Amino acid sequence: MKLLEISHLKKNFGELEVLSDISLDVEEGEVLAILGPSGSGKSTTLRCATLLETMDQGTLKIDGKTVAEDKDGKAVYVGKKELHKIKESIGLVFQNFNLFPHYTVLKNIMDAPVHVQKRNPEEVKKQADELLAKVGLTDKADSYPCQLSGGQQQRVAIARALAMNPKILFFDEPTSALDPEITAGILKVLRQLAEEKTTMVIVTHEIGFARKVADRVIFMDGGVIVEEGKPEDVIDHPKNERTRTFLQKLEGEA
Amino acid sequence: MKKKKSPVLAVLLILSLLAGLLTACQSKDNKDAGTTFTVGFDAEFPPYGYKDENGEYVGFDLDLAQEVCDRAGWTLVKQPVDWDSKDMELNSGSIDCIWNGFTINGRESEYTWSTAYIDNSQVVIVKSDSDINALSDLSGKVVVVQADSSALAAFTGEDASDENKALCDSFKDLQQVSDYNSAFLNLESGSVDAICMDIGVANYQIKQRGNKFRMLEERVSSEQYGIGFKLGNTELRDQVQEQLNEMLADGTFEEIAEKWELTDCICLGEEGTDAAYLQDAETRKEEPFIEKLADVIKQLSSGMLASLAIFVLTLVFALPLGLLLCMIRMSKSKILQWIARIYISIMRGTPLMLQLLVVFFGPYYVFGATVSASYRFYAVIIGFSLNYAAYFAEIYRSGIESIPVGQYEAASVLGYSKGQTFWKIIFPQMVKRVLPPVTNEVITLVKDTSLAFAIAFTEMFTLAKQVAAAEASIMPLFIAGLFYYIFNFIVAVIMERIEKSMQYYR
Repeated sequence: MKLLEISHLKKNFGELEVLSDISLDVEEGEVLAILGPSGSGKSTTLRCATLLETMDQGTLKIDGKTVAEDKDGKAVYVGKKELHKIKESIGLVFQNFNLFPHYTVLKNIMDAPVHVQKRNPEEVKKQADELLAKVGLTDKADSYPCQLSGGQQQRVAIARALAMNPKILFFDEPTSALDPEITAGILKVLRQLAEEKTTMVIVTHEIGFARKVADRVIFMDGGVIVEEGKPEDVIDHPKNERTRTFLQKLEGEA
Repeated sequence: MKKKKSPVLAVLLILSLLAGLLTACQSKDNKDAGTTFTVGFDAEFPPYGYKDENGEYVGFDLDLAQEVCDRAGWTLVKQPVDWDSKDMELNSGSIDCIWNGFTINGRESEYTWSTAYIDNSQVVIVKSDSDINALSDLSGKVVVVQADSSALAAFTGEDASDENKALCDSFKDLQQVSDYNSAFLNLESGSVDAICMDIGVANYQIKQRGNKFRMLEERVSSEQYGIGFKLGNTELRDQVQEQLNEMLADGTFEEIAEKWELTDCICLGEEGTDAAYLQDAETRKEEPFIEKLADVIKQLSSGMLASLAIFVLTLVFALPLGLLLCMIRMSKSKILQWIARIYISIMRGTPLMLQLLVVFFGPYYVFGATVSASYRFYAVIIGFSLNYAAYFAEIYRSGIESIPVGQYEAASVLGYSKGQTFWKIIFPQMVKRVLPPVTNEVITLVKDTSLAFAIAFTEMFTLAKQVAAAEASIMPLFIAGLFYYIFNFIVAVIMERIEKSMQYYR
């Protein structure tokens, strides 16, 4: 079953065309990595999929439910109530974590499930403890975000997103605000999630990440999808010139 | 070694400056031709001294002073003073005398006096349509007088007659204002029932203001005006007195009196006008310091409570009102945004004092509603709250706008509603960020409470000035200053505690 379907997505910021024609699908249990240089439109695609940005044109379906349909060349969204319901199916982990600084780690994880989803606090607490164990931060439950390292904060952010039981989990450059040594911890969590068949869309420019976690890779540049396929094909044997240049540049840096 | 020199030098410098200052002060006692003669007067006391249409200080007393200076070869300096601070001005030497319809009676031993030159009486002014026709009708009414005026002395002074004291007791309230303009505003708007003032002033005011007001025929008391010099400064007094006597002899005095229509009141040179003039200057009795201190603090305590009440109630209303205003200012509707913008612009762009006057007198002048005396306090709270809300609104706005957009995005993805996002995520972080600027405003508010005097609400500072004037001492002002300092010190400590309590996160 397809959990995410985007077709013919177009997006402009004023005069500037950011996305010209993006179509992509994500199957249940699949891990998709979106690669590309900065300014390629990969983050904007993800922000449209997580409803932080509205599309100008195109259709969007999440978990089989229509979010926006193309009518006469304009994307028309469904009503507020339905949007709110659909939002429950998605989770997002930000580049800058965006934890709530005035809440403890535990409250960051528990607050939305208890106050937005109105779930039983005891049940949520049990789940939060499990999630903290999963990301290796059981002893930090009562700490505040400012007392944690960047890597620890990002793992809390992942736990916070998972606590909402989303059907599909998005990552917006989850390691680009972190030191390279720390990314290993995040990678470990992501691999574990992949093994558990969590559906994930990861926007990144860490090739290693894509290779180790993703089932499928999309390479974007200049607002279009340039190449798509299995990681070993796209990363190790790129067909497109632009993909090759990008990969070479990254290898040069590393 | 070098460093040690500078404090010694500084001390020497200060000492020499002080010495210079002292000699400068002493030289003021005796005046030679060519020096200046500074007259202190209340610039809102026609016809004796006031500002005319051309912006010049004119008046009967100032004309007399000019004539004296012309004859003595001095240059006249007309120095308007705040009536409550006149003793400090005189004692510090910044003015040479108080010459401004200055009542001798009751102040005989506080100044060195010229002979009396005007015989004046205290009269009562009411609205033309008032049902008050005699002094006995004032029972149960609110009467207003100028602070430290002879009318006030006639009712509450140490030498007040039993008759006047009984009359005063029959009033519902005896209130004080700083000038006659606000006294008439109060009378017209109905917040007081009658004004008591000097007959000369009363005649002038009624002439100026038309038939809206009338004077009771029955008079409260009689008194005489003189020129007041610093206690002990008989030399300068004698020089001025000599010129006055000459002016009386050659008819100039009479001429000036005619110009100001005061001929009926003059008494210079008549019998019995030299009692204060003849008395020995050094007769003032000094109360022991501690007793005086206790007495002053006791007198000031009601003012302290009043200031505290303004402070607390203003915060209680202005803090939430500011949040509401901030939300309107940040709303999506352009019309609402502009309403809030204009409101904030006016509140921050005009003096709080003026806003208080508008709140207090507005109901009468706009709607014709009679304002009661108790409205005075409400008006203070309303005025302060409306004003401070504007400042708080902008502080809140800056706090809200400084919160990273990622916080809103995280809340949105987690499904928080708009209300939940604001109250659970944004508001607590905003509070932490705005605490330092809010503390600034709160401390300013402590000191701003003194502005309530604009509508004659007696808070701490007004009271201190009144007590200072009555006791002819600046001690009450120092105690007031100390009060504000301690008040602010406590506020600062509390705000620091609150700030610390929020330091668990960054």
